[in-house]
Amino acid sequence: MEDQQKERILEAEEEDDQGSERSVVEELQELEETHPEADASSAHSPLWVRALQPDPLCCPASYKKHSPQERHLLKMAHNFHCQYAHLYPIRKHLLLYPLNECGVQKFVSTTLQPTLLPYPELYTWDGCSSLVSDFLALLPLDPPFDLPTHLYSPTWVLKTRRGSCFDFATLLCSLLLGAGYDAYCVSGYAVKETCLLNQSCQECPLLVIQDKEKMSEQKTPLKKYSVKPRRDLSSRFREQQQSQRQAGVQAAVAGRQQDEQRLQESERPPVDRFIGHWVHCWVLVLSGSREVPENFFIDPLTGRSYPTTDKRFLGVESIWNHQNYWVNIQECRSGCVEMTFDLGNAVKWESLLCCLPVQPQLLLPDPKDPEDEYSDEEEEDLKVFEMPPSWVKRIEISQQDMEMRCPTGVKVIQYHKAKLEKVAPYLLKDGLVMRLTTYKDLDCTESDTVKEWFQHRQDYLEERELNRITNVTLERFGPGRSQALKTHRCAMLLQGMEHDMEFYSHSRVDGLAKRVERPTEITESFEGRTDFLYHRHIIFGKAPGPGGTTSGEQCPILKVVERFGRDCSKPAGEDVAERVFLTAEGLIRVTYHLEDDRIIPAQRSFAKFQEWPPSQRQQVFSPDMVSTFLVDPSEKPCTNQSLYNMLVSLMKEEDRVTQEIRSSSKEVRDILALRKKEESNCELRISIYSTAWSEEARRYREELERVANEERLWKERKGVDELAPLLAKLGNPEHLTREEAEQLRKECLASLKEQLVYRANLIQERFQKETQQLRLKQQWYQQNQLSMTQEEKEAYMSYCSSAVLRIKALKLRLGRHKDYAPQKYLMLDEKLRRDPRLSKHLC
Amino acid sequence: PCPQQEMDIPHVIDEEMLQRAVEEQGPQDPENPAASIAKAEGIQREHVRRLRLDFRKILKIDHLWEFTCLTKLQLDNNVINKIQGLESLTNLVWLDLSFNHIEVIEGLNTLLKLENLSLYNNRISVIENMDSLVHLQVVSLGNNLLSQLDNIVYLRKFENLRTLNLAGNPFCKDENYKALIAAYLQGLVYLDYRLVDEAARETGLVRYQDALEELRHEEEEATRAMEAKRRAEEELQMHREAFVEFLNGPYLFDSMYAGDPEAAKLACLPGLNTLQQVVLCMQMFELGLQQWERRKAEVDCFFECYQEAVADNRKRGAQLVNDFQGSIRETLAEMQHSTEPRVLEAQRNQFREDLSQLCDTLLTVELQLVNQLEDIIKEFERNVSEMIGGFLETLQGIYPFCRDLENQHHEKLQEIALATLDRVAKGTMEQEMPDDVLALFVDKDTLQSAVGASHDIHLLRIDNREDELVTRVNKWVTELMKTIQNDEVKRNRKRMAEIFHYADYMKEQMRETLDQETG
Repeated sequence: MEDQQKERILEAEEEDDQGSERSVVEELQELEETHPEADASSAHSPLWVRALQPDPLCCPASYKKHSPQERHLLKMAHNFHCQYAHLYPIRKHLLLYPLNECGVQKFVSTTLQPTLLPYPELYTWDGCSSLVSDFLALLPLDPPFDLPTHLYSPTWVLKTRRGSCFDFATLLCSLLLGAGYDAYCVSGYAVKETCLLNQSCQECPLLVIQDKEKMSEQKTPLKKYSVKPRRDLSSRFREQQQSQRQAGVQAAVAGRQQDEQRLQESERPPVDRFIGHWVHCWVLVLSGSREVPENFFIDPLTGRSYPTTDKRFLGVESIWNHQNYWVNIQECRSGCVEMTFDLGNAVKWESLLCCLPVQPQLLLPDPKDPEDEYSDEEEEDLKVFEMPPSWVKRIEISQQDMEMRCPTGVKVIQYHKAKLEKVAPYLLKDGLVMRLTTYKDLDCTESDTVKEWFQHRQDYLEERELNRITNVTLERFGPGRSQALKTHRCAMLLQGMEHDMEFYSHSRVDGLAKRVERPTEITESFEGRTDFLYHRHIIFGKAPGPGGTTSGEQCPILKVVERFGRDCSKPAGEDVAERVFLTAEGLIRVTYHLEDDRIIPAQRSFAKFQEWPPSQRQQVFSPDMVSTFLVDPSEKPCTNQSLYNMLVSLMKEEDRVTQEIRSSSKEVRDILALRKKEESNCELRISIYSTAWSEEARRYREELERVANEERLWKERKGVDELAPLLAKLGNPEHLTREEAEQLRKECLASLKEQLVYRANLIQERFQKETQQLRLKQQWYQQNQLSMTQEEKEAYMSYCSSAVLRIKALKLRLGRHKDYAPQKYLMLDEKLRRDPRLSKHLC
Repeated sequence: PCPQQEMDIPHVIDEEMLQRAVEEQGPQDPENPAASIAKAEGIQREHVRRLRLDFRKILKIDHLWEFTCLTKLQLDNNVINKIQGLESLTNLVWLDLSFNHIEVIEGLNTLLKLENLSLYNNRISVIENMDSLVHLQVVSLGNNLLSQLDNIVYLRKFENLRTLNLAGNPFCKDENYKALIAAYLQGLVYLDYRLVDEAARETGLVRYQDALEELRHEEEEATRAMEAKRRAEEELQMHREAFVEFLNGPYLFDSMYAGDPEAAKLACLPGLNTLQQVVLCMQMFELGLQQWERRKAEVDCFFECYQEAVADNRKRGAQLVNDFQGSIRETLAEMQHSTEPRVLEAQRNQFREDLSQLCDTLLTVELQLVNQLEDIIKEFERNVSEMIGGFLETLQGIYPFCRDLENQHHEKLQEIALATLDRVAKGTMEQEMPDDVLALFVDKDTLQSAVGASHDIHLLRIDNREDELVTRVNKWVTELMKTIQNDEVKRNRKRMAEIFHYADYMKEQMRETLDQETG
């Protein structure tokens, strides 16, 4: 392996033997520049790890210690590594048991924790890979040509949201295994751009137009009695000339293509000197499970899939999953092109744990399987060591993190002449979730088109595309807008604006599907109408006012063309196919549908009679005003009555159509005004099911509570407003005079006084009554004391005690009332003085 | 009936009455120009859609055959006693014959589109003769002489019947009247001006459960029988088209014996085997069906291609005409606006040139199609004749076997007959024979002639069947080819006429435009 790489370097050096050393230095410098945080001198733990050391107390025991099985495994791995080093002395070391975040050696396979998270998007490989690529930030390997010393657990990586390509691959592989894919981590070599996540030389995947040329143009097999094609009577000479001309055009095209190629070559980055040395880790998915038809690689940094023969992957050292570890013993001279991934083949792959057949089965181990122990025993009998279970805790990703995706919520990817920005939903006020900008030049200074995607917008805007060269804006909306607008394309023309709107026709009463408005014409198309209208074209004249072509509302209509589909309930000769109102010339032209075996349609043209008073109109109509062409000359012509009726109904229709046109051009203006308003004041819809966006919900709830609270307070205050009844007596005047205020105060105080006195009297009265009764009772007792039974005595005693209690209580209340009454009086006085309604008069 | 009416002289519908009615009921509003136009032009009877002939003391319906477009006819409050003269009004949807003296429902069988029928206040005692009026929705038979509730069953066949009026009939006094009708006519929504009472329907359904069940069963049986009959007919039709009807069984054999009294007598001779023709017949039958399928595929393929070619051609033609119309309208509009005589002249020439070019192109296209079709028709004819020839040859190869069988049978019969004759003569006959059969065995000649006659009849039958088959097959081929040729000629003529007619019309248009210009 290593000698191959050396060869490559040598080749590279031979190519350019002048100042090769200098260029290597430059390369390294460049590296340092691009990744200043990677300190080349720090040998063991890079800076960022030191900054983010895990608290050893927080880590579970399995992170810090070895189980007996693991210890055994590590011994085996060590043995394996010694043998390997002996057999292949020139190859690089293997990544077998790097340190974890607690500084403990762990075998790489046990770092994989197959997990299926409860998010539907993580059930497919592309969902998993795009999540991993978005979720983590890359820390390039340091040095980039050596294996890392540390491999962190996926849980730690998820916490810190950053990692090397090995951490990326471990997390992705865990998710894929959990989703049931036959996935493996691959440790090997790749090109520099892949290792450093530099995509600026790649086409943006969103821009690659999928050439799905549907070759479904099956030529219907020539039937036995198919007619022979018409004789070809075109001139050979002309054809020849034509072909010559085409050849000329093709040559020109070829020349341009060559130019382009040259341009592209100049754009290509300089040759990498360290090709074959850049260590990378990615994921391999084997065919078989989950209906995967063919083996493929996934680069965890970009989240994209590649065929196993892709040129960016240069070599494989080893691969592993949660069950076993294999070392590649195939040649990698020509990258991965000739490699096979038949892991059972001992000639091509050396496995760590032998005798373990590769089983493409669902790989979620069930710890509670009762048969587990049994099978363990059995395998011990067979002297097979099984990979110990993972030491990593369950992988968990919160709903909120899932929505935020990127650590900061924003991710920018630079592609070839394009820039892609991804934003978490709800993060920006205008609901932007993705923006793709394409540029004319390599340095990305002059933008060409800007495409934006939105979510959760109140105005249902989903996509906006702006072409800066042609100045065309295209907006796409989701269903649910009031006018069922689907797309709106707006372009600047020489004479004015062109608005091209598409609608969700099924949710409109008039079935409008598309409307194109230009300064002097409107074209509308319809779908699913009961009157079978499917096309309407209107041509406007110049507005009568001086130089006023701006709004279509005042412009006179010159011509209206309407086309109808075939209404099968009518005979073809009576079913209107096209109606043309030549308003300017006072003509109406009607063309009917073609009859089954005809090529010429029946047609009529009516000259409208002018607006006469109704009594004169009857003389106005004459059969000359109608010119009819019936296909069948033997057909009886229509009677004058029916012609007259036709004309009358057509004229009515014309009025109706004019009304519709006016309202439709008004609708265009309304939509434009509404769009303008919406754009200036953009709001987001928050799903009622969205718990992750709980901040909004909480704020909303708090707001509700606050409002309720205020209302309650307000009501309470209102309840003790002493002035209210008095003010009401005065008729609630807005302003009070000084006398009135004084009067109010006095009255208010007087009423309080009265109340207090009344209350005091009430208590006094009760007190007196109670003492009176007690005295009477006592007299009665003294008189009849001797003749009383025991029960009567007891009743008297209990009465006395309760009466004394009552008297005591009343006495107490009376005393307190006397104490508090002046205070209350003063408090009210104070309050009235401070009352905003009276204060200015009383102070 | 009003006594006043009876005193007056009854009328028959005549021309004069109709004319007056049509005129009165046409557009009348003097403000409406349509009225004056109608007056000037006259109203065509075949265009009249509604006609009211009420309170006219009409006794007999007549002279209505011209009103073929009529959808609504009111003949109420007359003295009609017989429904007649309505046969040609096939578009009628609404017919009002209330307040008349009708005793029998009749003469309505051609009015297939009828939906609303009123026979209120007549003298009808039986509901009948309405089998073909399957679209009936509203029927009024109130104030009649219906006394038997059984009449209701007849109304079950009208699946669309929603409204029914039977009030004022004698059977309305029956306490079961409402429940019975509700149960028997389950699609009914309104009865006697009211919504059908659901409770009454429930009780009716319970009360008449058995009868209803039986009725339903009978109806199902009837429909099933109809279906079976239809299917059998279809199958027979298919066999007929394959020219092998009644060959899939012992039919030929049976028919041979049906016209042969002697054979029946001879059949009871001991030791005589029946004729083994069934196998051969089945062979022919299978062959016929096979051939039929092949022929059908061939014919279908031909017509499909024919239609395709015609449709393709039509599309081209229509496209040409459409393009032309677009350009010619512009030219005409320009001509209207231009005043310069020289320009006008040039435009006219341009117009003429364009028109003649269009006609030429259309005719060329048509000619091409004719040539193409001629080719495929010829090829088709050749193939079909070949196919038929092969079929006939194979069949005619089978018939001799039939004859051989018959000959063998005949020889054996003769042998047995002679042996029996011997035995009869010797009196050693073991079993008794019927007298009429014994009569044959009086002497050798009688026997010989009887057996010979039987044989001849059999052979004749076979020959006849063969001849019939051959003639029919040949006739089919010639007729098919003739139809194809005729259709093609007709199509061609129609297209030519269309093109020339259009050219004439366009020339006319141009002349008019020019006239306007000059005049």
